[in-house]
Amino acid sequence: MANSFKVTITTAEQQLLETDSVSLTLPGIAGYLGIWANHAPLVTALVPGVMTLRHNDSGAAGTVSHFAVSRGFVEVADNRVSVMVDSCEPSDQIDVTRAEAALERAKKLLQEPASAKVDVARAEAALERAKARLVAARKNK
Amino acid sequence: MAGAGIKTINKRIRSVRSTQQITKAMKMVSAAKLRRAQDRLVSARPYSRKLTELLQRLAGAGDSGHPYLERRVVHRRLVLVVTSDKGLCGAYNMNVIRVAQRAADASIAEGRPCAIYAIGRKARDYFRKRGYDVVASHDDFAASASDDKARRVADAVVKMFTDGDVDEVLLAYAAFISTLTQRPVLDTLLPVAPPAGGDDAAASAIDYIWEPGRDALFAALLPQYVRNRVYITLSEAFASEHGARMTSMSAATENAGELIEALTLRRNRERQAAITQEISEIVGGANAL
Repeated sequence: MANSFKVTITTAEQQLLETDSVSLTLPGIAGYLGIWANHAPLVTALVPGVMTLRHNDSGAAGTVSHFAVSRGFVEVADNRVSVMVDSCEPSDQIDVTRAEAALERAKKLLQEPASAKVDVARAEAALERAKARLVAARKNK
Repeated sequence: MAGAGIKTINKRIRSVRSTQQITKAMKMVSAAKLRRAQDRLVSARPYSRKLTELLQRLAGAGDSGHPYLERRVVHRRLVLVVTSDKGLCGAYNMNVIRVAQRAADASIAEGRPCAIYAIGRKARDYFRKRGYDVVASHDDFAASASDDKARRVADAVVKMFTDGDVDEVLLAYAAFISTLTQRPVLDTLLPVAPPAGGDDAAASAIDYIWEPGRDALFAALLPQYVRNRVYITLSEAFASEHGARMTSMSAATENAGELIEALTLRRNRERQAAITQEISEIVGGANAL
């Protein structure tokens, strides 16, 4: 049986990555989930968080990449994993100062009284995204 | 006098030549933009295909009664028209506008008012001038699609639909077939008709784990699907626009070249005639002496 599987990461604008992987960790809507080769067919929604991918370059000791992903979906079938997300940034390309600024902005928005016509859902989403980016960036160190 | 004729022709040649330089530059700019738009369209396809597949698989999940799917009696329609901001692209805008106008007129004739959502200055000006109900418009998309622009449009359209402002949303745009061919199309965006081929043999053969449940997933997928369709529509329309502009500017450059050739020929002929006349005048004068 194969011990690697194919991962494709696509956003609405482009296909970001297509690679062989030995394991993949994803921020599912019901909590983080790990995927290894020969995983059962699965479709789940994703929430903003950190995705961790172990490349298939030297077995279980393959190099690891972290990505900050936002909302989306993942489909697993037949040793193929398709990750469809709104955005996906490799951890080494994350602008930490910008993410921190976004985090502060979102926090401030959420603290304001509800009467201020703040789009709470949007601010919360921004908060989650900023958090995910920061966590992913930290993993890189 | 013959000399004045040559002067006018020279002037015209110069003017045609400078127009040709402009059309040539525009053609090259469009060619570059077209390539970018085409790349964008191609790289947007995997996501769109995946999303559609997923939706097909989920469509069998039974009518979850999601508001996006709700087919209501149509009291008011909305037509989303995608055109360009600038002209000089042949019949591109008119072709799209004609399709949209026909849909709007048919709706109005049935006694169902029709609103227009105009993307591109051309559509906005056209429909506004003719007294159509233009409820929203964008003229800052600069002929390039992005997920963010698609989100803005989709959010606005979906809000009108779920608020009951409109009961059906149609899309009018030019589908990109090739650089030379763009086909104006009219499509329904809302209510969403889940793509056909729901639970076919291949899809249902795989026994998926659905998390969190098929209905919830379906509901989460629909907004994504609508937004993606708007994104693809924008991408197609803008690729078409650059294609149309490139084709028409290339034709204009060629025509200018032909015109210059014809004018040069006429100028030379006239100059020759003037010289001949002058010689015969001199000869005639000498003979008279």
